[in-house]
Amino acid sequence: MRTTEILRLAQPGARRFAPGALLGLLSALCAVGLLATSAYLITRAAEMPPILYLNMAIVGVRAFALGRAGFRYAERLASHDAAFRTLATLRVGIYERLVPIAPDGLTGTRRGDLLTRLTADVDELQNLPLRVVQPLLVSGAVAATSVITVWILLPPAGLALLIALVLAALVGTAANGLIAARAERSIAPLRGAFADEVLDTVVNLDVLTAFDATGSRLAAVERADARLTRAVLSSAAGTGVATGILSVLAGAASIAALLVGIPALGTAGFDGPVLAIIALVPIAVFEVISSVPLALSALRQVRSSAERIGSAVPEIVPPEIPTDRAADARRTVDPANAVIELRGVSASWPHESSPAIREIDLTVSPGDRILVTGPSGSGKTTLAHVLVRFLEFEGSYRLGGVDARSLPLAEVRRTIGLSEQTPYLFDESIRQNLLFARDDASDDELIAVLERVGLSEWLDQRGGLDARVGERGSLVSGGQAQRIALARALLADFPILVLDEPTANVDPGRADALLRDLLSASADPDGRRAVVIISHLPVPAELITARLRLG
Amino acid sequence: MKPLDPRLLGYARAARAFLAAGALIGLAQTACIVGFAWFLSQVIVRAIDGQGLHELAPLIAALAGVVAARALLLWIAEVTSTRGAARVKSQLRSRVLSAVTRLGPGWMAERNATSVATVTGPGLDALDTYFSRYLPQLILTAIATPVVVLVIFLQDWPSALGVVLTLPIIPVFMVLIGWATQTVQKKQWRLLNSLSTGFLDVVGGLATLTLFGRAARQAERIRSVTEQYRVQTMKVLRVSFLSGFVLELVSSLAVAVVAVSVGLRLIDGSLGLSVGLFVLLLAPEAFLPLRQVGTQFHAAADGVAAADDVFEILDAESSAASATAVDATPDRPSAGALVLTGFGAAYGDRPVIGPLDAEFPEGSFTAITGPSGVGKSTLVAALLGFVGHTGVVALGGREIEVGATGLDWISWCGQRSGLLAGSVFENVTLGSRSPDRALAARALAVAAADEIDLDRMLGVAGAGLSGGQAQRVSIARAVYRALERHSSVLVLDEPSSALDELSEARLVEGLRALRESTTLTLVVVTHREAVARAADSILALEPAAMAA
Ligand SMILES: Nc1ncnc2c1ncn2[C@@H]1O[C@H](COP(=O)(O)OP(=O)(O)OP(=O)(O)O)[C@@H](O)[C@H]1O
Ligand SMILES: Nc1ncnc2c1ncn2[C@@H]1O[C@H](COP(=O)(O)OP(=O)(O)OP(=O)(O)O)[C@@H](O)[C@H]1O
Ligand SMILES: [Mg+2]
Ligand SMILES: [Mg+2]
Repeated sequence: MRTTEILRLAQPGARRFAPGALLGLLSALCAVGLLATSAYLITRAAEMPPILYLNMAIVGVRAFALGRAGFRYAERLASHDAAFRTLATLRVGIYERLVPIAPDGLTGTRRGDLLTRLTADVDELQNLPLRVVQPLLVSGAVAATSVITVWILLPPAGLALLIALVLAALVGTAANGLIAARAERSIAPLRGAFADEVLDTVVNLDVLTAFDATGSRLAAVERADARLTRAVLSSAAGTGVATGILSVLAGAASIAALLVGIPALGTAGFDGPVLAIIALVPIAVFEVISSVPLALSALRQVRSSAERIGSAVPEIVPPEIPTDRAADARRTVDPANAVIELRGVSASWPHESSPAIREIDLTVSPGDRILVTGPSGSGKTTLAHVLVRFLEFEGSYRLGGVDARSLPLAEVRRTIGLSEQTPYLFDESIRQNLLFARDDASDDELIAVLERVGLSEWLDQRGGLDARVGERGSLVSGGQAQRIALARALLADFPILVLDEPTANVDPGRADALLRDLLSASADPDGRRAVVIISHLPVPAELITARLRLG
Repeated sequence: MKPLDPRLLGYARAARAFLAAGALIGLAQTACIVGFAWFLSQVIVRAIDGQGLHELAPLIAALAGVVAARALLLWIAEVTSTRGAARVKSQLRSRVLSAVTRLGPGWMAERNATSVATVTGPGLDALDTYFSRYLPQLILTAIATPVVVLVIFLQDWPSALGVVLTLPIIPVFMVLIGWATQTVQKKQWRLLNSLSTGFLDVVGGLATLTLFGRAARQAERIRSVTEQYRVQTMKVLRVSFLSGFVLELVSSLAVAVVAVSVGLRLIDGSLGLSVGLFVLLLAPEAFLPLRQVGTQFHAAADGVAAADDVFEILDAESSAASATAVDATPDRPSAGALVLTGFGAAYGDRPVIGPLDAEFPEGSFTAITGPSGVGKSTLVAALLGFVGHTGVVALGGREIEVGATGLDWISWCGQRSGLLAGSVFENVTLGSRSPDRALAARALAVAAADEIDLDRMLGVAGAGLSGGQAQRVSIARAVYRALERHSSVLVLDEPSSALDELSEARLVEGLRALRESTTLTLVVVTHREAVARAADSILALEPAAMAA
């Protein structure tokens, strides 16, 4: 996604944005009006006119006071609501761009950094309408109105105010930019880097502790924190300078008004009360426009966050990652006729120069039980990834009689299931971890499939399906995690099931029983399901129909 | 939220200087406010009385001086407050993280890493406002408001009365609203947390979700959590804007009342213009800091909601620390048999390994076997101090305080390979003070992984290696450490589960060679016969032990 596109998404449309901006303008004008009328009221009152003359001013003071607060309340509600609405789209957008390249296109994506893009950077975008566009519009309008009003009262004073305002906007912005621009652009990436360090430390705490590496990790975290803090402080210094400059110019504008106003006293229509107005109006106007120099600084941060959101996912999908481009969306595979035919298939991992598997021939027909063996690193898992289309291939791969490339990826994965070598368990209950394989499964079915993998006794110990498995299965043993994953694959009932080392972490007795269950015909009464099993453990010859040896 | 959270102030003490500076700056700022109002009103009044520019020049110059001083103070205030806040935050951060590392992997296993990372990142960031805006404004309120009110009182007591009568409404109202928003704010923080943890969990398991055709459905979940988060945020904002509105209204009306009352008294001549104008300029300043406190109060409350999680971690650590407050004995025994007596471990009140006695003679090779889930990895985790244990661990006849004594005596390779992003070399030499290529190559050879290039770069969680390659690199990492630190015991948890028979045989050969060249005591948890056959003795854990 391009940065401009993201910025356009972040800025609410005119219909949503206008009410907030309008209310903000009214509130700001009320603030200026309040100070001006009260100054007028008091100075005029000092001339002791009949009270009648002051009624208008008295009403004005009260109305402006109410208006300032009321409009401001309504404005903040309206503009914040508008700003938040688009953020959901952006967050989901990041996720949706991750899906097509997962898992093999994501191995380089740092998790902590990705997380800050989804949260902090998306949140930052709300500042585009709130801190950039609206303040600029409101300040511009208020400044113009005030300059014109003062100009009408006394032209030189109007000119002085105009000059002070222009100077404030220019000098404030320039000084702020000079001090803070670089730091502000770096804040978002540094925040990501910091999150990365923290997450790396916490996720790998067991390894880091056992290897006495927590100290150096914490030092790295502290360094990342220090870099981030330095950037934040530079940004604050810029803000401080801009605020200071604004405050000087506000004072200068008041003084300038006095300097030109005092000699003019007594000339046509220019009297004490008007002098009070032109001397005090700058104070209120500058309070309103104090957001201008900071608007640019906010814009810098918004832009850098938008860039990060845009590049959250690698723009170019590596050629080794399959896409749905060549697929015919309507094409399906008949489960009864789900035959895999590989002829001379080779495949490479992204960014690797040589293929991990070469010239593989394999046929898998319904009812087949095929054992794939080979030394570690010979490409067994690579083959499994090719079969479920995580990886692109060269050669010919036909599924159900058609070129696998012409099938939608989702259709291939409906036909061929994979139980991964390193299964992932979600930080949820056991039930949730099983249910997403088939969400209409009843509790009895879940318990039955857990029984099949030998976990029913353990399930009772743990207090049933609601027990949590922990982050990445941290609360269950290695073999249990593997068997939960296996249960999941069994539950989904794929026509073809690829099992990558299903019994690696299980004791020999149990492993044997599991293999017999998985591969014997009894597991599958109509004998239609095909199983491709990758295993280092010896598999009884009578259970398999064919073997493929790699490497 | 209380206006001042004593626990947070406890940490703010670290930045006592910054708070004191804040008070000083506040005092100077107050002087500027009063000075500005005074000089400005004087110039206007005298000009109306007919004085010319020439006579007013000194006053105008003084006004300019005040303007300059005011600007300078603003800048200093901004810089010191952010600096102070940053310092406090960094300090809290490193305290939380070192607390987490001290609480250790056993504590972490029951928690979510993303959630802990969210607390230390965005959670503590939210405290920025508390320290850099809220506290300084609170100080300024405590200084400026009374001074300004006093000045007004000295000039014109009826106006001061008006201000004093309206002022207390503000804090009372703030406290009320603070109570009302507390739960909403907590909920909002929880939602941010679950958005983050849910997202990373989903990203981690994207392969699995894709395989089961569930990836698209997760998008809906992310959308709905984000939507809930927005609704909750708006709820918080609605209340906090409402309080802002009340504060603004009260102060605006108070200023309006002062203006009108001053005006009316000017008409009947009971008050002079100079006093009137001065009071008019000062009245809003009495409310300004308090109004700011009100506005920052809610932004700060965000941080305080997150701070609860921070304190939970810090409290857990301090209670854990006091429970095991033994003085570490650095002179650990370096050799001899590893003896466990009455050794047991439990998760909560569920015992996993019943009290068992075992001896691992120096230089021996013991295989631990037993059905999946019997507690083999738990035994190992207890040896490392990740899980609490009962009974005694002794090495070379001397008791070891597991964990507290340091872990140099034991080197470990876990059941999951647990590799990090970086090169193979960086992984193998993890924790080494002076990484050594020759030693790393030797460790790889022991682990039957000599075909893997030390300079090969790995992705997140060691991606880029096959299952068996990752496992062997992780074994090499433990071997490297055992060799470099001269550990007494090398524990491998299922080292060959992902290996073919040939690689396994090479690994067993490597371990045998390692035994010949060192006195390392080998403890290997395994399901595989080839490994068990190579061992001198076998410790078979029985499920019965679980019931005992
Ligand atoms: N952090 C934990 N909290 C609670 N229970 C746990 C935790 N870790 C493991 N368990 C449970 O304790 C029991 C023993 O687990 P452990 O990991 O020690 O088994 P294991 O013998 O290593 O099994 P495997 O051969 O499958 O790796 C299991 O029932 C497991 O579910
Ligand atoms: N994500 C990846 N990026 C780049 N190369 C990879 C990646 N995963 C695996 N490889 C490489 O591809 C080759 C084949 O790996 P694969 O995982 O298919 O082996 P395997 O036969 O499954 O081995 P094992 O028995 O150890 O699981 C190996 O050389 C491995 O290093
Ligand atoms: Mg593999
Ligand atoms: Mg285990």
